[in-house]
Amino acid sequence: MTPSHEIEARLRETAEELLREKRVDLFLGYEKATLPFRTTPLFLTSPEEVERLAWNPFCTTNLAVYLPRLFKAPASAREAERAPPLPTVAVVLKGCDARSAIALVQERQVPREKLVLVGVACPGMVDVRKAERALGEHEALGAGEDALGNIHVVVEDGREVTLPREEIVADACLECRAPTPSLPDVLVGEPVEGKDPDGARRQTDEFASKTLDDRWAHLQDELSKCIRCNACRQACPMCYCKECLLDQTRPRWVGTSTDMSDVTIYHLVRAFHMAGRCTECGACARACSMGIDTRLLTRKLGQEVEDLYGYRSGESADVLPALSAFDMDDAQDFLTEP
Amino acid sequence: MTEKRIPHTDLDGLLGRLRERGAVYAPARDDAGDVALTQAPLDDPMVLEYRNFRLSPKAFFLPQSQTLLTFCDGEAHEPSLPDGETFLVGVRPCDAKALLALDKVFLDGDPPDPYYARLRETTTVIALACTRPMSSCFCTSVGGGPGDGAGADVLAVGLEADLLLRAQTPKGEELLSSVADLLADATDDAVKEAEKRVGAAESLIAPVEVDNSAQRLRDGYDSPCWETASQTCLGCGTCSFLCPTCHCFDITDELRGTRGRRVRTWDCCAYPLFTLHGSGHNPRPSPKERWRQRIMHKFRYAVENLDRLFCVGCGRCIRNCPASMDLRTVLRELGA
Repeated sequence: MTPSHEIEARLRETAEELLREKRVDLFLGYEKATLPFRTTPLFLTSPEEVERLAWNPFCTTNLAVYLPRLFKAPASAREAERAPPLPTVAVVLKGCDARSAIALVQERQVPREKLVLVGVACPGMVDVRKAERALGEHEALGAGEDALGNIHVVVEDGREVTLPREEIVADACLECRAPTPSLPDVLVGEPVEGKDPDGARRQTDEFASKTLDDRWAHLQDELSKCIRCNACRQACPMCYCKECLLDQTRPRWVGTSTDMSDVTIYHLVRAFHMAGRCTECGACARACSMGIDTRLLTRKLGQEVEDLYGYRSGESADVLPALSAFDMDDAQDFLTEP
Repeated sequence: MTEKRIPHTDLDGLLGRLRERGAVYAPARDDAGDVALTQAPLDDPMVLEYRNFRLSPKAFFLPQSQTLLTFCDGEAHEPSLPDGETFLVGVRPCDAKALLALDKVFLDGDPPDPYYARLRETTTVIALACTRPMSSCFCTSVGGGPGDGAGADVLAVGLEADLLLRAQTPKGEELLSSVADLLADATDDAVKEAEKRVGAAESLIAPVEVDNSAQRLRDGYDSPCWETASQTCLGCGTCSFLCPTCHCFDITDELRGTRGRRVRTWDCCAYPLFTLHGSGHNPRPSPKERWRQRIMHKFRYAVENLDRLFCVGCGRCIRNCPASMDLRTVLRELGA
């Protein structure tokens, strides 16, 4: 595992070079946030400011989420005339984020030639909630990383606590199938292997082995925490629709209340639209302030598409997405006679 | 102002007495290990050590979904308003203070909002002074403090062996007198200990400069900082939905044939739909205008129109933002 400070230095060099040589208009990376265990996205346009770029165990945000809005198609012909030329954007991507970026290219939301994909071999990012829970009633004042990659925390009374990385890394990272970005233009850090790539199947198999009633009860129990803030949708790079079905008002297909019927439909609609598109970055679960496991349904649907069509999202920019492609040999045994 | 104390060991008795009168919500640890206001079973002791709840208690006064009326074949029916009593125990002072902001919106209007008014009338708030503020807390900069009882009916301060109880409103006075047999008079030592504990908590809170924010935000309306700050905003509603003072709502009619209900649900200025006109025009077309609105509303418009900051410094928006945005940074950049 390459130490974070080395990766950080390489990212700063790369950004400095790309911006100075005007090969990109924008370098999208991470900056330290005001609270421990967090970073905030950084939109860098000047080579003088590269020192703000950070790389640490808290670079959680999937920066691919910002790409569609940078390349948004003009709403009208008149707007198109006045629109500035498309920017060239370099973006820092972990393995999962790189899959999202490629999936966006596949879905024609982002032009590949306007992107410089700066991949970082990712050792797994810290789940803020796990970290804060591990501290109990202690409040972190600062957090960093030691030579072994474990998380070093200073708490309110000045004491130092070490949290083993494995214990506070996000579930999505533990189960990541490819932490080293595929197809980057620049790769930073020694390639990393996934820790438990079979974990995803294990989880869905275990869920599938429960009775229908138990599965329903579990889902209702999880979803009952939902406050309908839309964070799971907004944090998802693949949720880029100009107008979301869930926002349509004429007619309003889905109510905005927290009644279980509305909440359930919201989550089912979101999950179905992710079938064969989700890249399992876990942004939805991270964004959820209520701690809902938003990944179970999308993951299951991703596996269905993989089993039926041998397709996984974001692995190749040249392939048509499974639900956009048609082949006479496509599996159809799931179709039923009328 | 009545000042009493009650030993920690008698708290269950106090909660028991409140339960005889109505629904009691007290801090309890949930399955995930978080402390939340819970209508806890009788045998669970009240948790006194926690920082703050993930959710603010505003939903007790402004439910996230609220039926305003039902209708059937052209006839409207008003729902009956709740009349049972509710007790919220252990609300933090910042969240209690937020109720004074909500009161400005829902009670000072003409007419006042009957739904909110009834829930406010039937709910008694017993706040618990903060002893362990977080690094995201800044109540002392926005007119509050860890031992501020404004907005609550009773303020409790946790001491070594007792809780010091201080009535803040006539409703609080009535409550303390109704359980007088469980309470002892507050001693000078208890009052001193309370002061010391609140003072210690206060000293842990880092100040944020918000003096004269209205004027400074007026001057900064066209500042380039809005564009920079809003770049990272994902446009979700986490900050508003967790905010104890955000109160914007939407009203929709849910129809099935000729029957249906009119329902009020929380809304949020970060959503494009919030200001989308029927014509298709949107006066706040991008995250820049929407993010600016949120800050302007809390630190300028509310001050100009309602004479009150609409931020109590609880820091929920800072802790929970999926992009780790911090409104204190923007306030500093604008010198607001």
